[in-house]
Amino acid sequence: MRFAAILDGTSGDAARRAQALAGFLREGLSGDLAGETLVFYHHERDRTRLVELAPTRAVRLIKTTARRPDRLAAILTAVTQGEGVPLFLFPGGAAGTELATRLACRTDGAVLTDALSVEVGPERLLCRKNVYSGHMVGRFALTARPWCVTIDASWNDERARTSLEHDVMSDSDETDETDATPFEDLELVDPPATGDLAESRFLVVAGYGAGSRERVERIAAAAGRMGAAFGVTRPVAMNAWAPMDRLIGVSGTRTSPKLCIVVGASGAPAFYWGIEKAAFIAAIDPDQQAPIVRNADAAVIDDGLAVIEELAQIIAAERGNV
Amino acid sequence: MSSLRILVSFKVTPDFEALREKDWLAGAADGSVETRYVRRILNCFDESALEMALRWEDAAAERGETASLGALSVGGRETEPYLKTLLALGYERVARVEPEAALDFAPAVVASLIAGYVRQVDRSDLLLLGCRSGPGDSGTVPFLVAEALGWPCLTRVLEVEPLTDDRVRVACMVDDGLLRVTLRLPCVLAVGNAVVSQLRVPTLTDRLARKNGRIHVLSGAELGVDIAGELRREPCVLVELEAIDRARRGIVIGGATPREKARALFDSHLKSMLEKL
Repeated sequence: MRFAAILDGTSGDAARRAQALAGFLREGLSGDLAGETLVFYHHERDRTRLVELAPTRAVRLIKTTARRPDRLAAILTAVTQGEGVPLFLFPGGAAGTELATRLACRTDGAVLTDALSVEVGPERLLCRKNVYSGHMVGRFALTARPWCVTIDASWNDERARTSLEHDVMSDSDETDETDATPFEDLELVDPPATGDLAESRFLVVAGYGAGSRERVERIAAAAGRMGAAFGVTRPVAMNAWAPMDRLIGVSGTRTSPKLCIVVGASGAPAFYWGIEKAAFIAAIDPDQQAPIVRNADAAVIDDGLAVIEELAQIIAAERGNV
Repeated sequence: MSSLRILVSFKVTPDFEALREKDWLAGAADGSVETRYVRRILNCFDESALEMALRWEDAAAERGETASLGALSVGGRETEPYLKTLLALGYERVARVEPEAALDFAPAVVASLIAGYVRQVDRSDLLLLGCRSGPGDSGTVPFLVAEALGWPCLTRVLEVEPLTDDRVRVACMVDDGLLRVTLRLPCVLAVGNAVVSQLRVPTLTDRLARKNGRIHVLSGAELGVDIAGELRREPCVLVELEAIDRARRGIVIGGATPREKARALFDSHLKSMLEKL
């Protein structure tokens, strides 16, 4: 069975998305399959680099207008109708969700977002994905083709690099500058830097149980004294007790530190997803029944701020900083 | 900008964080999760959308203009306390569509109902809704509605403000940064991690003043949607639920005071790890 992986190179971030797709094709996709990558590009200068990023040997290049998901959806719809590709795989994220949904809608196909794995059968596609805000995994059957599937953001951790020799099967120009765009005056701003969280080896996270903005700031200060990066859960960010770029979890940054200390967070799955790759998790929480306690390697049952400030003092003393 | 018709579509969900471990395990065994006994909450992204619309109305009033707000929920009677609150807050048109069947994993049906309401009843210029909601967490509803209406759509929206009579300026997160873009109306905006996150609370005076406001209850048929038929044709079906085991060792560190416990945690686990960092 054939599949097409979609790599939109008209916006930034193509390398990360290509790596996620490569990791998924290697470990998340099962079945008797042969695939190609449809690479969208806008600038000629990006062409070679994007081909090298493609996660399959076979590559088809399509030149088009930048940041026009509606155009991409129209082009993909034409591809579907022309060649009958049964499975389209999109990287996770907003762009992938939009393209997969619009394509399925326009072709009477089926869409599933954030797939953890995909199993291809003769008549249907079986996909696993998180549901109930990450409390459970659902297994879904997709019937109507084409199957339009985006892969889960956890595949973005993949650092799979392809060392493939690529065959460029075709290169077409679908640019249409006369096409009226609903989007005007685009201005792209770099996102706030969260590299310290994503790359951190030692991380402290404050949850809503911290209780107030002032106490969150004291936990952040303690983290600083310990030499740890500092993040927060969604309720903390939503209450403006810390900047949004500190957010850890499904709607923020996914981390993989060696050591993570969680202070005053119950451990909701949407947050836990952001720290589950930590080698060691220590939780400090007054509630022994909180999910974070059993989902941690070690737990202290007490007021989080009091314990983290004591810890900061101990660690600073050990390092000879006091 | 003259009076703009804004519709906010929202969902009331069970508070999944209030469910117990055994509920999830039972859900995996039974193929469905019992959520009837837990409290209901507004989907967090929808709550942002509802408050953003109110702030739009406030800003319009300051400019001497008007905005007409509507709210819609595809849901049963559990949505009515929220709809009454929205009436008290100044939403002029509030409605719910009786779902007639479980639509938790049927985003296409939900989108058909929302699009039907926009097209046939509300005639809105701007549709706001949350970028995703549980339990399905598909994130596809805004785009499915946009496809049905033929409108452009942006997701993970953080801010929206009026620009001209037929254009809005939107800030939204995209995969490679923060995008600011001007969009022609009508359009669909799916709200993400907006700073505006909490719906204001109406005063008692507001509630009393609008206590006779009517909640419009509609059926799928009234919107031209055969819910049962669409469910049968649903091309993506949930077939099984699996529990997730995230448990680690969960060793509880002893001690009488925070200082003792911090010391014990440090000596037993953290010291050796920090030396290797």
